[in-house]
Amino acid sequence: MGSVTFVGEHLFWGNLGHSAVVVSFISSILASLSYFFAERNPLDQSWSKLAKYSFHLNSLAVLTIIGSLFNIIYSHYFEYHYAWQHSSRELPVHFMISCFWEGQEGSFLLWIFWQMVIGQILLRTAKSWLNPVMAVLMLSQVALTSMLLGVKILSYKMGSSPFELLRNVMSNAPIFQQGDYLSKVKDGNGLNPLLQNYWMVIHPPTLFFGFATTVVPFAYAIAGLWRKDFKDWLKPALPWALISAMVLGTGIIMGGFWAYESLSFGGYWAWDPVENASLVPWIILIAGIHVMIIHRTTGNSYIVAVILILSSFLLVLYATFLTRSGILGNSSVHSFTDLGMSGQLLVFLLVFVVLSIVLMAWRWKLMPRSAKDEEIYTREFWMFIGSLVLVISSFQIILTTSIPVFNKLFGANMAPPADVIGHYNKWQMPMAIIIGILTGVAHSLKYKINKPEALRKIGIYAGVSLVLTVVLFFAFSLEHYVYMGLLFAATFGVITNAGILIPYLKGNIKLAGASVAHIGFGILLMGVLVSSANKKVISINETGQALNPEFNVKENVENIYLERGKPNKMGEYIITYVKDSQNWVNNYYQVNYKKLNAQGEVDYEFNLYPNGQLNPKMGLVANPDTKHYFSHDVFTYVSSVPGKKTEGTFINEKTHEVKPGDTIFTNNGYAILQGINSNTDAEKLDMKNFQVLLGAELKVYTLDKVYDAMPMYGIENNSATSYEAMVNEAKLKFRFTDVNPKNKTITIISSEQDTSGEFVIMKAIVFPWINLVWAGTIIMIIGFFLSILKRVSALKAV
Amino acid sequence: MKKSSIIGLIIIALAIGAIVSMYGDASTYEGFEVAASKPEKEFHVVGVLNREKEKYYDPQKDANYFSFYLIDEKGKESKVVYHNPEPTDFARSEKVVIVGSMEGDHFEASKILLKCPSKYNEQKVGV
Repeated sequence: MGSVTFVGEHLFWGNLGHSAVVVSFISSILASLSYFFAERNPLDQSWSKLAKYSFHLNSLAVLTIIGSLFNIIYSHYFEYHYAWQHSSRELPVHFMISCFWEGQEGSFLLWIFWQMVIGQILLRTAKSWLNPVMAVLMLSQVALTSMLLGVKILSYKMGSSPFELLRNVMSNAPIFQQGDYLSKVKDGNGLNPLLQNYWMVIHPPTLFFGFATTVVPFAYAIAGLWRKDFKDWLKPALPWALISAMVLGTGIIMGGFWAYESLSFGGYWAWDPVENASLVPWIILIAGIHVMIIHRTTGNSYIVAVILILSSFLLVLYATFLTRSGILGNSSVHSFTDLGMSGQLLVFLLVFVVLSIVLMAWRWKLMPRSAKDEEIYTREFWMFIGSLVLVISSFQIILTTSIPVFNKLFGANMAPPADVIGHYNKWQMPMAIIIGILTGVAHSLKYKINKPEALRKIGIYAGVSLVLTVVLFFAFSLEHYVYMGLLFAATFGVITNAGILIPYLKGNIKLAGASVAHIGFGILLMGVLVSSANKKVISINETGQALNPEFNVKENVENIYLERGKPNKMGEYIITYVKDSQNWVNNYYQVNYKKLNAQGEVDYEFNLYPNGQLNPKMGLVANPDTKHYFSHDVFTYVSSVPGKKTEGTFINEKTHEVKPGDTIFTNNGYAILQGINSNTDAEKLDMKNFQVLLGAELKVYTLDKVYDAMPMYGIENNSATSYEAMVNEAKLKFRFTDVNPKNKTITIISSEQDTSGEFVIMKAIVFPWINLVWAGTIIMIIGFFLSILKRVSALKAV
Repeated sequence: MKKSSIIGLIIIALAIGAIVSMYGDASTYEGFEVAASKPEKEFHVVGVLNREKEKYYDPQKDANYFSFYLIDEKGKESKVVYHNPEPTDFARSEKVVIVGSMEGDHFEASKILLKCPSKYNEQKVGV
């Protein structure tokens, strides 16, 4: 192929980007080492100078990589595999940003970017802790940048470069024998339609910022072990841990909201391995924060705090390994495609695991230990118990999520549980109950010593909560008494923390962060409980559809067949698939909902536009549409649509001999013959000079509307003419074909429009009180924010 | 006994409980023969679609009935019933993973996972 000269390529940007990757890799090694030696030789200023400059060089290189890659995507340089694979010409700019992190390389780049930003912040704030903390941070930067290298070292390909040329990736394709191949590569593969959603523009950066921040408390903990300083690092590390918990939590819930708004699995959480993998580090981080606070107030539980803080970052690395090594295979809907980097990812994980274990072991004897057990009637005791419950909870989640890893390690043949949700819920629900109650109990108690009043206070809160639980139980119309437990735990958590919050409202609100966060958590629990316990699939057919008698009707028939224009009764709604309309690559199916009241009258109506994208590569990609009400959501998506449409013809012709007052039954509704009208105005029809012209006055009743129709029948010189009447909305046609004077009847032929080619199969779910989930989360995030403010001002006070 | 020892024991007990429960609830990848011998258990069956036999889906009659024939990795064939609409792209799938249990003459699938030849990374340049 050497003889071929390729024309039209923009090699400059790829070369620039790739060089920047190499520069950033080398500069991160240099920075990490120089920070290491700067820590070892505190008197020699040259190391810290070198470290600083190489870190600045690294930052510049990272920005250059991002700039080059974005320019390649933005300018549609499809000679680059990344642009070709993840973007296309028709994408709007905000989705081009999502293209950026659709691939593994881009999402690593995002992580690298955040880590660089965090480094720049630390450079200005870490003060005496700068050297050891940055040495660890830059080591992580080395590992992450190595994922983008795409360089062969001794037959092992290290990393995967986003600047690889298409013709090199697919060098066997004959098209690349031609120098002008680019003129034939007209468009890229486009962005995965599931990611064409505005949440996908902001969810990944938030999540990755959360992931990236976990390295800071980790680095501080390592630095503490390294310096044998078991005290001072906690103070600056705590606000970072809180930031990390806030951002990672926000990122996770954004992912849930994205799933709820734009995926058709019907919910915000599915216990998918990828979701679990990001949840577990968060839970451990929360446990770690609690134990850090315990240690700072009582001086106990130091080792546990260090282990938890180290683990949260290691679990982020484990999550990275799980989602990017391809090991999850079929068990997850949204893991990345395997780039053959599992070995490298494993090394990344193991380096940090070994570093943590070795340092821990080395300093094991020196680390401070608790002098005695905690007293039971103290806040720290119950906080500690709560943290342990969080650890158990995350242990259970990561265990089941790791089934594919056990298969690989032990050659087992396990598959994820058939009832995944049930499996996780039976563990996580009791955990949530304990946690909910503990948030109330621990907060009612003081640190170290308590008077009997504290217990009395808990008793009062518990009593109030119990009454409220019973009220809420009926207000939410929950059915099973099993839910009482969780409902009580959530209510107790909210009530107790609200009680604690009130005095703060007048004073320094910054001090109330913990109460606010725990109130949010309680509300979140309540929302999770009510929206999932009372989640109701309403798309169960109740009228019309002729079920094939051979089929045993299962309970799980959750999809409804809707012919265009034909109303169907579904729960308390009359629904009609009205029409579809095309917008860009998406097809929107307008579904009209009419809510009926107890009398069967229409209360109110609304339209939903679930969207289906018939993607040439992925088939039907359904995006739901949801009507949000204060107390519930009506969630709708199309589960199947016809491939192509056929022109409407009329079928099911039926002949009816009727006299006034008689009823004509059709599949689409019924009609009553009101009377026969002989004073019809013939001139409206045409020039014919009828001797007789009769009109059949029909009232047509469909499920939700009444129409008038008047087919006509005329006689002129012994020849008869029929005029049909159409009821377009009801898809019905009536023809008046004969008069039978003997029986005093007339003949009407009814027929129905063939709409079999125009239908959607739809699923609809009502989620009650799902707003509590979002509200609880937002309150919790506000609580984190207040706590961060408090800890940051405590830092400044010194 | 110290409080911390009691707590430690409870933690260990719960951890063992989690492992046992993971092991007990985990499904396994099996063929139709094993599934038929244990109709009370749910299994994952990996196989390919038998394209010679008819797959049935008529949404006008029943939008929630889809049936097809699957040949598992040991070469045994069974009818599979899925009480949901036919997944789009089903015909193009290379490999099918079904989750469910045997019910008389057919396998009742509660979940279908498809492995398509080009999930999204078509390694082919359209000319």
